[in-house]
Amino acid sequence: MNRRQFLFSGLALGASGSLLLAGWQFSLNPDEDNRDWVLSAILPALLYGALPEDATLAQAALQRSKTAVNDFIGFLPLSQQQQLHQLFNLLANRLSQLALTGHLAALPALNMTQRLSLLNSWRDSYLLILQQAYHSLRELLYAAFYGQPQHWQQLNYTAPEFR
Amino acid sequence: MVDHINAALFSSDQHFDADIVIIGSGAGGGIAAEQLTLAGFNVLLLEEGAWYTRDDFVMQERWAYPNLYQEGAARKTRDQAIGILQGRTVGGSTTVNWTTSIRTPQPTLAYWQSEFGVNFQAQNDLKPFFAKAEQRLNIQPWPVPPNMNNARLQQGCEALGWHYSVINRNVNGCANLGYCGMGCPINAKQSMLVSTIPAAMANGARLISRISVRKLRWQGEQVTAVEAVPVDQYFQPRSDVRITITAKHYIVAAGAIGSPALLLRSEVPDPSGRLGKHTYLHPSVISGALFDEAVNGHSGAPQSVYSDQFVWPADNELAGYKLEVPPLHPVLMATKLIGSGAQHAALMQQFNHLQATIALLRDGFHPQSQGGSVMLDQHQQPVLDYPITDYLWHGIRRALLSMAELQFAAGARQVLPIHHDASLYSSWAEAKAAITQLPMQILRQTIVSAHVMGGCNMSSSAQRGVVDPYGRHNQLGNLSVFDGSVLPTSLGVNPQLTIYALVWRNCEQLIAELSP
Repeated sequence: MNRRQFLFSGLALGASGSLLLAGWQFSLNPDEDNRDWVLSAILPALLYGALPEDATLAQAALQRSKTAVNDFIGFLPLSQQQQLHQLFNLLANRLSQLALTGHLAALPALNMTQRLSLLNSWRDSYLLILQQAYHSLRELLYAAFYGQPQHWQQLNYTAPEFR
Repeated sequence: MVDHINAALFSSDQHFDADIVIIGSGAGGGIAAEQLTLAGFNVLLLEEGAWYTRDDFVMQERWAYPNLYQEGAARKTRDQAIGILQGRTVGGSTTVNWTTSIRTPQPTLAYWQSEFGVNFQAQNDLKPFFAKAEQRLNIQPWPVPPNMNNARLQQGCEALGWHYSVINRNVNGCANLGYCGMGCPINAKQSMLVSTIPAAMANGARLISRISVRKLRWQGEQVTAVEAVPVDQYFQPRSDVRITITAKHYIVAAGAIGSPALLLRSEVPDPSGRLGKHTYLHPSVISGALFDEAVNGHSGAPQSVYSDQFVWPADNELAGYKLEVPPLHPVLMATKLIGSGAQHAALMQQFNHLQATIALLRDGFHPQSQGGSVMLDQHQQPVLDYPITDYLWHGIRRALLSMAELQFAAGARQVLPIHHDASLYSSWAEAKAAITQLPMQILRQTIVSAHVMGGCNMSSSAQRGVVDPYGRHNQLGNLSVFDGSVLPTSLGVNPQLTIYALVWRNCEQLIAELSP
């Protein structure tokens, strides 16, 4: 772990003692704008190399994935839904985002490499909650994208039409 | 006239009465519904999931996972280290499983006898019940050549001189499609959904779907009623309508997470302290392999070959593991593959060339493998805490090594252990060196489970079990547990056939006891 990562983790740890826990009380509820804003920033990074090169097609694929995320979340246990809503709300808030990512600049202002490396820093964090955030977002978003038949062309796969 | 009631349509409080109410319609509840109905009892079968059938099964993960699986197929253990695939639909996991049907291994039964006093010898032999279940569900060795995903498992075993065997499957008229996990679109899979449940209903059993049982009311040594609610469109319990059900006998068959959770919510007596404890998962790890030739793991019977080379090691200090393969579909593969961005996209583009092998660890046979605990969250919903011990980590590393060796022996170009610190390795020597160094930690090592067992274990002694060897609750006389939660350890094989046979036997005993 390099010094930079350690600093960010330390920030998040400090925040989890004050800001995050205080935030926990009021940020468990879904906020569609926050969710959309965060997904718009993270999906293109996670799907880098998988999205169509054509900007219009890529936009349509992102929109389909966001819709799929929204449609799916309700099937998760309530406690997991609340954790996800909280994560989206924290990331959409500039101050708590700083604590979680080490970046003061808003997520969309970061380039793709920065966005991916911040996700990876969660994966490699010593904080269990950030590791869990990495895996739950990753699984949710990849399932949303690869669940759509329109996105299977690159896999050279077509599901059989049985009827 | 099929007597099915969709509880989601209730707009006012309801009451039902029956001779026997069965909570859960999976492997246990399905067998029990048919046997008890045939014996003349008025049976009411309850299922939290929906009554989806052949015409609903569109062979797409985006529909199947939210609609047919617990927690949208995203169920996790408490620390989120283990993903759990478990059905939640009429037929339970039998509607979505991969059809593998193997009898309980003799060493497992012997262990139960020595540790839990449960005797399956002589007049207690389960063999006649295995035979009955095999006949009822058309369980036979799969006669068709394996798909390439399974063939590579077989080839690796042949090259190394390891054990392998053809898998018995519960199918009739199977078209070798490969979409068993999304519900069989042609009713070939002989799940409870197409066999025992329709037969029970034709004989008068009633089915209520989309109903979540919240509590058993009990007094003294008797259960007195079931309290339930409908579920909403996301299968979450509603609070606007209450349903009560009374019966002479109550059967809990809600699976090895759902059954202990219901009994915990009901605060039933638990003098053994074992309720919700000793839950087993067959914790499973995955190894991917790229082949030059197409594998097309999405096509063909998902599981048709297995290897027991490592399941019963001579040294009991080593965790045993069974080798099988999973079907490969876009969502399953995308969520399990490691990495992100361009690295992940490049792996996905090799979709048709990826072979996957899984190793299922046989848990519950060692002091360092005592399983997990079902607990309730603030919404009274179950959460499974499953600590992973050094004994299991050691087994996991050995399993990754075995799978990589097997895949290279089968001709793999590269092997990718599904671990977040691993990468594609180009030779067995390289893979071996790397796997030896991988950190064995949660959320670094991907772990999955499709088999949940235990939590209401049977035992000949009330001090060592929640139920007796026939599934009767030790404290509440008119309560039985008829599902995989009665198993005192994991099995070392896929569990459906064990549950069918055990529940069939326990039904015969119950019928004899309840009949005038």
